[in-house]
Amino acid sequence: MSNTYKWDWGIFLQPVSTGEPANYLDWLLAGLQNTVILALSSSVIALFLGVAMGILRCAPNRWLASIGAIYVAFFRNVPVIVQLFAWYFVVPEILPTSMGTWIKQLPSMTQMMVLSTMCLGLYMAARVCEHIRAGLSTLPRGQLLAATALGLTLSQGYRYVLLPVALRVAIPPLTSELINVFKNSAVVSTIGLLDLSAQSQQLAEYTGQPYESFLAATLIYIVINWIVMIVMHRVERRVQLHGYLGSK
Amino acid sequence: MIEIDNISKRYGTFQVLTECSTNVAKGEVVVVCGPSGSGKSTLVKTINGLEPIDTGDIRVDGQSVGGRRTNLSQLRSKVGMVFQNFELFPHLSVLENLTIAQIKVLKRDKDDATDRGLKYLERVGLKLHAEKYPGQLSGGQQQRAAIARALCMDPICMLFDEPTSALDPEMVSEVLDVMVQLASEGTTMMCVTHEMGFARKVADRVIFMDHGRILEDTSKEEFFGNVAARTDRAKQFLGRILHH
Amino acid sequence: MDILQAISKSLPALADGMVITLKITAVSVVVGIAWGAALAVMRLSPVKPLAWFAQAYVMLVRSVPLVMVLLWFFLMVPQLIQSLFGLSPRTDIRLVSAMVAFSLFEAAYYSEIIRAGIQAVSRGQLSAAYALGMSYLTAMRLIVLPQAMRAAVPALLTQGIVLFQDTSLVYVIGLADFFRTSKNIADRDGTTVAMILFAGAVYLTISLLASAGVKALQKGRRSFEVI
Repeated sequence: MSNTYKWDWGIFLQPVSTGEPANYLDWLLAGLQNTVILALSSSVIALFLGVAMGILRCAPNRWLASIGAIYVAFFRNVPVIVQLFAWYFVVPEILPTSMGTWIKQLPSMTQMMVLSTMCLGLYMAARVCEHIRAGLSTLPRGQLLAATALGLTLSQGYRYVLLPVALRVAIPPLTSELINVFKNSAVVSTIGLLDLSAQSQQLAEYTGQPYESFLAATLIYIVINWIVMIVMHRVERRVQLHGYLGSK
Repeated sequence: MIEIDNISKRYGTFQVLTECSTNVAKGEVVVVCGPSGSGKSTLVKTINGLEPIDTGDIRVDGQSVGGRRTNLSQLRSKVGMVFQNFELFPHLSVLENLTIAQIKVLKRDKDDATDRGLKYLERVGLKLHAEKYPGQLSGGQQQRAAIARALCMDPICMLFDEPTSALDPEMVSEVLDVMVQLASEGTTMMCVTHEMGFARKVADRVIFMDHGRILEDTSKEEFFGNVAARTDRAKQFLGRILHH
Repeated sequence: MDILQAISKSLPALADGMVITLKITAVSVVVGIAWGAALAVMRLSPVKPLAWFAQAYVMLVRSVPLVMVLLWFFLMVPQLIQSLFGLSPRTDIRLVSAMVAFSLFEAAYYSEIIRAGIQAVSRGQLSAAYALGMSYLTAMRLIVLPQAMRAAVPALLTQGIVLFQDTSLVYVIGLADFFRTSKNIADRDGTTVAMILFAGAVYLTISLLASAGVKALQKGRRSFEVI
C-alpha cells in the first residue's frame, strides 16, 4: 500500500462538492436506502413467484413440471448482470409498443428501480423455487393423501397442509437467498442505479478517499448480513414445529 | 505394559468413566465386557489417547499417554487398534492400507513395508486380496485386513474395540480365529467383546464394567467359574449372556 | 442479416473476451479450490487460532457482495504490485486483480463445500489414522481429504459453473471479458439488443452444457462405485 495515502474519516461529514445540501454520509445512506428497497421488493416477488414455481415443479403433470424446470434452467444459467442489461436495454424494446413507451417515459430512477426489481425478483425466484421444491420433497407422500382423503382440494391441501411445513423447512436456505439478494443488488450499479456499492464508488471519486468509502460500504453490507441472519433466526424459532426437523 | 490409574472422564454432564484402574501385563489377554453404555469402548480408546481423560493417568510401556513430553504419534504407532467398523481406508487398496502408516509414520521404505504387508496378509489368509479395494471385501475379510494393518506396525500390544459386533454371524469365527492365534503367540491384548466363548478360550483376565465403573477384574477362571462370588450386576449379566 | 454479419465481424474480439473470461475462471477455480481446501482443514483443526481465522475469513467474505470485492482488489492490487515489483500500472493489472479477487472470494465458498465433504467422511477414518500414529495434518492429507474431495467433485464443479457466470461482473472494473466486450461492440455498432441476447445465449449454452457434463460425470462415477 502506498505510504503517501492519508486517511481521512472526516469525509463522511463533509458537504458534497456538487452543491447539494448533503454530506457524503447522506449519499451513502441514500444508496443504502435504494439497496434495501430493491432487496426487499425483489424478495416479495421472488417469494410468490418462487413458491408458485416450486409447486409447479412438483406437479404430477409432466408439462407443468417442465415449465418450472425450464424457468429454473434459464434463470440460473445466465449471469445476473446479463439479465439486468436484458431488462434495461432489451425488454423496453421488445414489449408491445404501448408498454415499451410507457417504461421509457418513466423518470430514469423509477425506470431503473422497476426494471432492477423485476430482474432481481425473477432471478431470485428461480432459486426460491428449488428450495421450495426441496422442502416439499421432504414431506411424506401420505400428507397430501390424508388431506385429500379428508375432502380437501389439491389447492387447499397445498395451502393448509404442505406449504406451511415446506416453508418452515426451507427457512435456512431461504435465509441464504435473502442474504444473497442484498449482495446481488450491487449489480445495479452497472446500469447507473445509485445503490450502496455505486455510492461508495461515487464517494471514492469525489473525495479521493477510496479506502474509507469502500470500508464504510463494506461494513454496512456486513451489518445488513448480520441483521438478516438475526431476524431470520428469530422467525425460524417462532414458527418452529415441535419435534420436527432440528427444532429444539 | 498398560497401566490405567484411577481415570475418570465426562462428556458434558455425563460421567463416562469413574475411577477406573487396572493393568495389562506383557503377554496377558484381558477381555472387557459389560452392557452397552458401560464405557468399555471409551476405556479402551483412552489407552492410545483417542479419548482424552479428565483425571488419572495411563501409562503404556512406561510412557504416560497424557504426558506433555510424550510423542503421541509415536506412542500410537506402537499400540495396535482394531475398530468395530473396521475403518479400512476405502480409497486405498488393501495392501496400501497396510503400508501407508509404515511408510509415513514408521518411515520404512516402500519395499520393506510391502514385504511386511504381504507377510501379514498371508497370516490372516488374505494374500490373494492384496490389490483389491476394501469395498470389494466381505466384512470378515475387511476386519482381518484391519488386524493385519495394525500388526504391520509391530505393536507392543493390541487393542480390540468390539471387533466382531458389526459382522454377520457366519463371519465372526474367521476373525476370532485370527485373534485366538494372536493370543496363543503371546500377544498382549485388551479386547472389548461380547464373545464370551472367545473370552473363556483365550482370556487370562476378565474385566466387567457397568455405568463407567470397573466392577469386576479377576482371572477368567474366577469370573466364569465362581459365579456366586461375583457382584450382583455381573451375576445378572452372566446369567443373560451365558444362556445363549 | 445485419445482426449476424455484425456479430461475425466481431468474432475475433468476442473470442478474446471469452479467453479472458475463461482465464479468470480457470485460475480462480484452481487457486480457489486449493485455498478453500486449506481453509477447510484449518477450520476443523485442533489449533484454535487457525480455526477462528478460517471461520472469520469465510464469514466475512460471504457477507460482502462480489462487486465490492472486485472494487477492493482493483483498488489494492495495482498499488501492491507497484510497491512490490515497481511496475507501472498497465491494463494487465485489471486481469490480475480480477484473478486475485475471484480466487480469494471463491475460496470461501469452496471451503464450505470441502468442509461438508470432510465432515461426511466417517469420524472413524480419522480415529483409525490417529491409531496408526498419523498426525492431524498427515491424516487429513492422506486419508480424509482424498475421500472428501472425491465426494465433493460434483459440487465443486457446479460452483465452477457459478464462477464462470460471476466473471461477467468484472464489468465494474472495466475489464474486457466476454460480456464487457459484447457491450462495447454493441455500443460501437448500435446493436445493443442483439448483442445482449447473444451474450446471454452464449452463457446459457455453455453453462447448460457444463451442468449436463457434471451430471453425466456423477452418473458415471456412481455406477463405478457399485462394483
